[in-house]
Amino acid sequence: MADAFTQEIIRSKLLAVTGEMGTILARTSMSPIVYEVLDFACGITDASGEVVAQDNGLCLFTGTFQPQVTSILEKFPAATMRAGDVYMTNSPYGGGTHNPDVGLIMPIFSDSTLIGFGISVTHWTEIGGKVLGSIAPDSTEIYQEGLQFPRLKLYDHGEINQAIVDIIEANVRLPLMSIGDLNAGVAAVRIADRRVREIAERYGQDALLDTFEGIMAHGEAIALQRLAEIPPGVYRATDFIDGDGISEDLIPIQVEVTIRPDRFTADFTGSAPQTAGAINCSRGALMSACKTVFKAIIGPQLPSNEGLFRPFELIAPDGTVFTATRPAATGWYYESSANATELIWKALAPALPESLSAGSYLSLCAYYIGGQHENGDYWLLTTPQDGGWGACADRDGESSLIATTDGDTYNYPAEVIETAFPLTMLRNSFNTDNAVGHGAYRGGFGTIREYSITSPAGAYLQASLGRSVTPPWGVNGGTNGSTNYFEIVRASGQIERGGRTANRPLQPGDVVRIVTGNGGGWGDPRDRDPAAIARDLADELVGRDDIAAIYNGAKP
Amino acid sequence: MNSALRVAVDIGGTFTDAVIFDPESGTVREAKSSTTPHEFSEGVFDALDVSGIDLTAIEQLIHGTTVVINAITQRSGVKTALITTPGFRDALHIGRGNRPDMYNLRFHKPEPLVPRRLRFEASERMLVDGTEQIPLDCDRLREIARLCAEDGVEAIAICFLHAYAWPAHERAARAFLSELLPEISITCSSDICREWREYERTSTAVLNAYVQPILERYLANLDATLDRQSVSDRRFVMLSNGGSATFDFAREQPIQLVESGPAGGIAGAIAIGDEIGETHLITLDVGGTTAKCSVIVDGDAAISQDYRLEWTPWSPGYPLRIPVVDIVEIGAGGGSIVWFDEGGALRIGPKSAGADPGPACYGRGGAEPTITDAMVLAGVLDPAAFLGGRLTIDPELSARAFQPIADRLELSMTETVSGVLRLFGELTVEALKLVSVRRGYDPRDFTLIAYGGGGPIHAGLLANELGVKRLVIPCFPGSFSAWGMLTTRPRLDSSRTLVSSLAETPHEKRDEVFTSMRQEAESTLASHGFQAGAIEHQCAIDCRYHGQEHTVRVPVDAESASEESFANRFHQLHAQHYTFRLDQTPIELVNFRLTSTVPVDRVRQGTARPPHATEPAPSSRTVAFAHGGPQSTAIYQRTELGAGFSAHGPAIIEESSSTSVVQSDQHFTIDRFGNIVIDRIQSSGKERPEIGHA
Repeated sequence: MADAFTQEIIRSKLLAVTGEMGTILARTSMSPIVYEVLDFACGITDASGEVVAQDNGLCLFTGTFQPQVTSILEKFPAATMRAGDVYMTNSPYGGGTHNPDVGLIMPIFSDSTLIGFGISVTHWTEIGGKVLGSIAPDSTEIYQEGLQFPRLKLYDHGEINQAIVDIIEANVRLPLMSIGDLNAGVAAVRIADRRVREIAERYGQDALLDTFEGIMAHGEAIALQRLAEIPPGVYRATDFIDGDGISEDLIPIQVEVTIRPDRFTADFTGSAPQTAGAINCSRGALMSACKTVFKAIIGPQLPSNEGLFRPFELIAPDGTVFTATRPAATGWYYESSANATELIWKALAPALPESLSAGSYLSLCAYYIGGQHENGDYWLLTTPQDGGWGACADRDGESSLIATTDGDTYNYPAEVIETAFPLTMLRNSFNTDNAVGHGAYRGGFGTIREYSITSPAGAYLQASLGRSVTPPWGVNGGTNGSTNYFEIVRASGQIERGGRTANRPLQPGDVVRIVTGNGGGWGDPRDRDPAAIARDLADELVGRDDIAAIYNGAKP
Repeated sequence: MNSALRVAVDIGGTFTDAVIFDPESGTVREAKSSTTPHEFSEGVFDALDVSGIDLTAIEQLIHGTTVVINAITQRSGVKTALITTPGFRDALHIGRGNRPDMYNLRFHKPEPLVPRRLRFEASERMLVDGTEQIPLDCDRLREIARLCAEDGVEAIAICFLHAYAWPAHERAARAFLSELLPEISITCSSDICREWREYERTSTAVLNAYVQPILERYLANLDATLDRQSVSDRRFVMLSNGGSATFDFAREQPIQLVESGPAGGIAGAIAIGDEIGETHLITLDVGGTTAKCSVIVDGDAAISQDYRLEWTPWSPGYPLRIPVVDIVEIGAGGGSIVWFDEGGALRIGPKSAGADPGPACYGRGGAEPTITDAMVLAGVLDPAAFLGGRLTIDPELSARAFQPIADRLELSMTETVSGVLRLFGELTVEALKLVSVRRGYDPRDFTLIAYGGGGPIHAGLLANELGVKRLVIPCFPGSFSAWGMLTTRPRLDSSRTLVSSLAETPHEKRDEVFTSMRQEAESTLASHGFQAGAIEHQCAIDCRYHGQEHTVRVPVDAESASEESFANRFHQLHAQHYTFRLDQTPIELVNFRLTSTVPVDRVRQGTARPPHATEPAPSSRTVAFAHGGPQSTAIYQRTELGAGFSAHGPAIIEESSSTSVVQSDQHFTIDRFGNIVIDRIQSSGKERPEIGHA
C-alpha cells in the first residue's frame, strides 16, 4: 500500500493532469463556444470506467464519463484495446447529452496493463443537421440534429481512420472548426495518457492503482458522512417544464427523493413522457443533472470522482422527458436537465438550508439575434442571460448570476456587442419591473437587457426561455419569484411577448427586451429585518406599496 | 557620510524593510522594523531609524506600500458613489454573471463597493462610433451632486459607455462636478483605462475612487514628515507594473499601487538576471501564507491586464484593468497547516496560521502543526538563531503539534516531517509549472531566483523537481522586494482599444495612433518632471483572428512595419500560444499598447566578501531531508562566505532574514556579487519535458 504522502502527491498530480487537459483543449480549439463558454470536460477513469479525477468547465458533464466509457467497453472489450487507440462517441442514448457533445476516450497502458482511460467531451460548434450550430428548437427527431458517432474507433494503435474524418468534413458547415475541436479533444486525452504513464513510471503502477482506490474510498467516506447528517426520509417535489418549443403545453415532472444513512435515491417515475420538441434529455444527461445537485449537497468544492457518487441511486423508467429514447430530439436537453436538477433541489431545500437556496430563474435563457449585413455577410449574437437566484435561509438571494447549467461563464459586455453587431444596448439592469420573491430573505434580481435593432436589413430572434409560466418557488413561506420572458417592442409601440420562439422577424427600430426572473424568497416576509427593508427601499429595489402589502407589520 | 543615498522602504505584512544603496561606495545595507498598521508611516521611519542613516543624505526615496491593498482588504475605503450611462446603473453589481464555484447553489459574488442607492444614472450617451446620441445633461449632474453631498460621499467614480474611445462626456462631467463638489475626489474611468468592457472599467474606476482619499492622506502625512526631516523631494512609489512613479502620480491613480510589494521582488529578479547574464527567470517568493511565482522571458516580466483582486478558484474577485506583474499565488507557505480532512486524507493548507498566532513553535497560542514547525523538527531551522534572534521559538511545541499526525500515520516523527516536506515541495512545484511548462516554456532554459523568508528554504528541492538550469539566492532574500524597488525605472503604461482589421489599418495608421499615444505619455511624464528625451518607448498591439475573443500581443518595431511581416509575427505568436494558425482568416487589431520608461542608474547588490577573507568554519547537525531522510549537514553562516567559496550539499546557509537549504545532490558557489548559486551535481537524465500547454 502506497504511503499517505505518496497517495496525496499522486492525487494532486492527477487533478493537475485534468487541469492541463482542460488548458490544452481550450487552447487548441478554434471554437469560441469551447474557449469562451468552456463547454467541455476532461477526466481520468480507472480501467473499469470509474472517474478518479475530473475537470469541468460546466456542470453539464458531471456524470457522463462513467456511462460513456462503459458503453465503449461494451462494444470494444478491454482485451482488444491497444496503446494509441482513441474511441469516439456522442450518442445521447449511450451516456451522452446531445450530438454536438463529442466524447473521446483513450485507454492508458502501463507495462502493457490497461490501467485507466483519459476522456474529453467537447461541444462542437457545428456537427451538421438542419440548422447552423445543429441545435434547432423545432427539431423533432435526432436525425435533424447532425452526425451520430455510434461508438467508433478513431485511432487504431495510433493510426487514424481517415474515413471518419472525411465523413465529418463532408457533413458539417464549419469543417475547419469541427476538425479543430476534434483535434483539441484528441490532444487532451493524449496528454492524459502521457502524464498518467509518467506518474506510473515514477511512483510505480501499484502506488498509482492504490491511489485510485484511495480516491474512491475517500470520496465515498465523505459522501456517507454528509448523508448521515441529513434527516432520513422521503422528500417529494413536483414542477412543470414550460413548453417544449413545439407546443406551449406545460409538461408535468416529479421526483421522490429517499434519504437513508447509506443511500440517496432519486426516483423520477411519474414524470411526463418524452416530447416532440428538442428539450428532452436522456439518461446520461439526467444522471449529470442529479449528480450536480448531489455534489452541491455533499461538498461543492470537492473534486469529482465516482466514489463520491457511490451512494447515489437513480430510478427512472425509459421514455420520459428525462430519459428520452431513440429517435427523440435532445438538442436543447440542457433545459429539461436544469429542471431535473431543480426538482431534487426543491424537494430537499427546506431540509438542507445550509446547502440549498430557494428556486432560481432556472432556464439558461439562451437566445440568438442575427441577420445580414448590407454586404450580405451574416452576423449572429448568441448568448445566455444571467438571472435571479433564490433566497438562502440566512441571506438574500444573489442577483444576476448565470443558470445552474453553466458555470464560470461570462456575459457579453455592451461595448463589445455594439462594436460587433448592428445593435444598441439600451439597458442592462436589475429586473425591478417585476416582483421579487419576498421573505425573511428575498430572492435575487434577474436582469433586463434591451437591444435596439439598428441593422437597416432587420434581423430575427430565436429564443428558448423556460420558466416563462411557472415562477421560481419560495421556501418556508417565502413568495414565488417572477418568470422569464422576452418582449418585442415594435416601432409602432405594439408589444409581443413569449418564452420560446423559433424565428421571429425584427425590423429596424424594434427593441428586443429579454427579461430574466427574480428568485424565490425564504421564510415569512413579516420576519424580515426592518433594516433590510429600509435598505431595499433606499436602493429602489422595492416600492413603498410593496412594503405595505407584503411586509405588513414590519416597519422600515 | 555620503550625501547621495538611494533608499527603498517596503511595508510588508509583518516587517517594514529599508534597503540603502550608497552609489559612491557601491554598498548596500538593510534594516527591518515591525509594520505599524495603525499608522504605516511610523514603521517607515522606524526602519530608517534602525538603519542609522542620516536622512538628509537621502538623494532618492522609493516606497512600496500596502496602504492601498489594506484599505481594500479591510473595506476601509471611503464612501464612494458611481455615475453611469442611463440603463447601466446595475452594471457594477451584475458584473459578468459568472459562478466559478459552480456546484455551490448558495453562491454569492463579492459585494459591490458602491451600494445601489449611490449608483446614479446621468443623462448622456455616446455611440460606438463617437456619435453623441444624448448630450450630457448638467441639470441631472447637479441633482446627483446634491444627493452625493447629502449622503456624505467622499469620492465619485464616473464610467460612461464607450469612454475608452470617447472620453469627452466623462471629462466634462468631472469638470462640472468638481466645481460643485471641490472637496470630493473624482475618478473618470478613461483616466485609468482606455480599454473596452464596461464592467471591468467601472470596477477599476470605483476601486481607484474608493482608496484615493486614503492614499492622499497617507502621502500627505508622509510628505510632511519627510519635509520636516529635510529628505530630498525625489520621492517615488513602486507601481504594480514593475516600474515606479512620483507621489503625485500615485495621488491620481492610487490603484496602480495595489501590488507594489510583489512587483518590487520581480524587478529585483530582473536586475539579478541582468547582473549574472540570465534573461529567462522564474521567481519564487515563499512567505507565511502563500507562495508566489512568476516568469521573466527575455528580461521582461509577464504583465497581466486581466488582474482580479481577491480572485480565488471559487470567487471572481474584483477586476482591475491596470497593468500588474503576472503572479501565480498558491496557498502554501511557512504557516500552512498540516491536517487530515473529513475523509481521512492528509492535506497541507490552504488554511494558514499566518503571522498571528503563527506556527506552533512561536508559542503564541497556535496549536496546529505548520510547515515552519516541520522545518524546526527536521533540523532545517535553528531555534536559537531564528530570524536573526528576533523571535524565540520552542521546538517542543512543534513536536507536540505534530505528534497526532505521526500517531495517525503510525510513523516516526522524522519520517512524518520528511514526508510533509516532500508533499509541500510537490504542491509548490505544481504552481511553478503553471508559470513555466503550462505556458509553453522549458524549465531547463530558466534560472530560479528564490527570495522571501521561505523561498531559499524550499527552493533547492523545487529546483531539482522542476529541472531548472540553476538556482540563485540573492544577497538580501528577506528584504528583496525593497532591494528590487531600488532597481526600477519610472514607468507609464498606456493603451487604447481601437478595433479594426489589419487590412484597413496600414503601417502609417498604426504609427499615427502610437505617435499620439507617445505624445500623451511624454506630456504626462513631463508633468512629473521627466524630460521627453530621456524616455524609452515600447509598442505592441493585441491582435486576434476575426471572430475570436482571445488576443495575442504582437510587439511593434522596425521589423514588423510591413503588413506582411506584422501578420507573420502574429501567426507565429498565435501558434506558440494556441497551437494553431489560420493563415487565411483576417487579422483584427484590438488594443494598442505603449510602455514608456525612464532609464535610471544601475544598482548593485554590492560586492561579495573577497575570496577566503576568512576560512568558513561550518558547524554540523542532523537534518531530515524530504528525499534521503536524516543526513549530517554542514551549517554555514552566509556572512562568513567569500566570493568563489564552493561546497557540496547537504548544507544549510544561515543568515539573519532567511535560511538556504542545499540538497545532497547539489553544490553551491558564492559568485562575485555575493549570490548563492546552486547547481545540481549531475543531470538526472530526465527526458525533455512535454511543454507547450497553456
